Amino acid sequence: MTKILVKFSDKQVGRPMASEIILDLQVPLNILSANVTPKGGEILVDVPSHEINRVVEAFRKRDVTVAIQKGIDVDKDRCINCGACYSLCPVDAISFTEDYSVIFDGERCISCGLCVNSCPRRAIKI
Amino acid sequence: MGAKTLRTVDEINEKIRKGDAIVLTATEMKKLVKDKGVTVAAKEVDVVTTGTLGAMCSSGAVINLGHADPPIKIQRAWLNNVEILHPGAAVDLFIGATVMDESRLFEYGGGHVIEELIRGKDVEFKAIGYGTDCYPRTQVESTLTKNNLNQFYMLNFRNCYQRYNCATNGRDEIIYTYMGKLLPHFGNASFSGAGELNPLCNDPDYETIGIGTRIFLGGAHGYVIGEGTQHDPHNASGTLMVRGDCKEMSPEFIRGATFTQYGTTLYVGLGIPIPILNEGLAKKTSVTDEDILTNIIDYGVPRRSRPSLGKVSYKALKSGKITINDREVKVSPLSSLNGAKMITETLKRWIDDAAFFLTAPVEQLPVTTVVNPMRQAREILFVEDITQPATVSYEDEPLEAVAKRIIERSVNHIVIVDTSGHLLGIVTSWDITRAVANGRKQLSEIITRKVVTVTPNEPIDSAARKLAQHNISALPVIDATGKVLGIITSEDLSRLIKG
Repeated sequence: MTKILVKFSDKQVGRPMASEIILDLQVPLNILSANVTPKGGEILVDVPSHEINRVVEAFRKRDVTVAIQKGIDVDKDRCINCGACYSLCPVDAISFTEDYSVIFDGERCISCGLCVNSCPRRAIKI
Repeated sequence: MGAKTLRTVDEINEKIRKGDAIVLTATEMKKLVKDKGVTVAAKEVDVVTTGTLGAMCSSGAVINLGHADPPIKIQRAWLNNVEILHPGAAVDLFIGATVMDESRLFEYGGGHVIEELIRGKDVEFKAIGYGTDCYPRTQVESTLTKNNLNQFYMLNFRNCYQRYNCATNGRDEIIYTYMGKLLPHFGNASFSGAGELNPLCNDPDYETIGIGTRIFLGGAHGYVIGEGTQHDPHNASGTLMVRGDCKEMSPEFIRGATFTQYGTTLYVGLGIPIPILNEGLAKKTSVTDEDILTNIIDYGVPRRSRPSLGKVSYKALKSGKITINDREVKVSPLSSLNGAKMITETLKRWIDDAAFFLTAPVEQLPVTTVVNPMRQAREILFVEDITQPATVSYEDEPLEAVAKRIIERSVNHIVIVDTSGHLLGIVTSWDITRAVANGRKQLSEIITRKVVTVTPNEPIDSAARKLAQHNISALPVIDATGKVLGIITSEDLSRLIKG
């Protein structure tokens, strides 16, 4: 799966954009988070990776900005594999290998940011 | 039983010299004892290597700068803007891991300075002095690396905690602690320590670990120089005081760190070889995570004695999930378990390569000391000591009645309760003024329903923090069920300071 952040202005707030695209393209989209006010908004959408080009194009046609999200970015030189971040992840994107190295699954990450300030080494960025 | 000497430290060192010593990591030893039994393991194994790599706040470094010309007697000094805790004689400094750069609070501190120096980086030094006949200079600034320092050695008051609490949070807000970030409503947990790899868990009676024991410290040789502060062997919570030469250390095992809204610290890698002098030590070094238990503690309670929510083994903690109040929650290790394992392996390699020899302690560490709480000569206060009766109203009262009550009682805060006295919200005299100005009639329209509260047994410092954090002027005092017991206001707190 690939995550995209869709931002739109007040003009598009009333429009069922995601539903239109789901129906048009027959692609299942998962809204991971949404922050919408009468002034506009942004939604984080999980898209099947092989459909990413079609979906991004469909959104852009509707006059919104689309950015592909990379999720968390971990500086492995700074990381000491302490795992302080592990228990904060709501979607199990952070796990341990058998020898207790910490591994990060960018595909699962929903960029919620809960882990960022839990890192004693400041190794995590969104 | 098990006390009969199988080999001495000298004999082991002779084997190390010849390349014949049998050295196992703690992990390997546990497997061997499980597979072949204690007696066989005791016969076969000479040394078991242990290790831990965790945040150890009572760490720091002693630095001697040499004299400037003209010379200065340092009164206050800074390295990379982190203040030195204690200047000793004229140019001796001790930099503590937890001292923070005031301009980068919580982000950069003594631990980071120590790491940067070990990495070979430049650090900015400045100092001031009051000037004396023999040391006339009053200020000095320079750029230094570790090569410019006469002495640069780590001196840690308390390292290597045998085990530590598992922390969780029962409050309804995220808290930031020295045990990391804890989610509300027991949403996660954290623990510290390496469990079965920890040196003291493998020699809990201090048979081989004592003053003078040579150890792995930060990737170099170091020494145990005594028991650590708060050493509590009775409660399986022993600690060590250690020193080592920072100039020889590796940044792989010494890392500055920061705990958000708590402060800076130093991750220290420490390993100890346990000589298997007798069968008893073979048995002790076979201890497993299953055998090492600790308490799950609610860090949401800001008191010295925090309630325990049960016991948990390091085996469960290392599995990543534990059960709190019948719910499964994720638990973070704060120590690097990967790093601890690496230390046991590195130390094993050193001994195999005859690059590290064992020492017998010159003196045993105490095994009976206990930790006492601080003597508090002056009374400290809790919320219950300054709680006033709350002026209350019910939700359906007209605004006018509430306004009258504010004037009659001469208060600024009205606590809104239901018929059984449970908290529903709060209204201030300012809310009423604004409501009247806007032509509102009903109290229910202006109630603040998300209320920050305190409990009677919270220290007043904690209440003062809540007032400041939320920029409010009063806190309803409630019991565990939400029943209103009274109120405390910022005026009550200010009166205390005035005396």
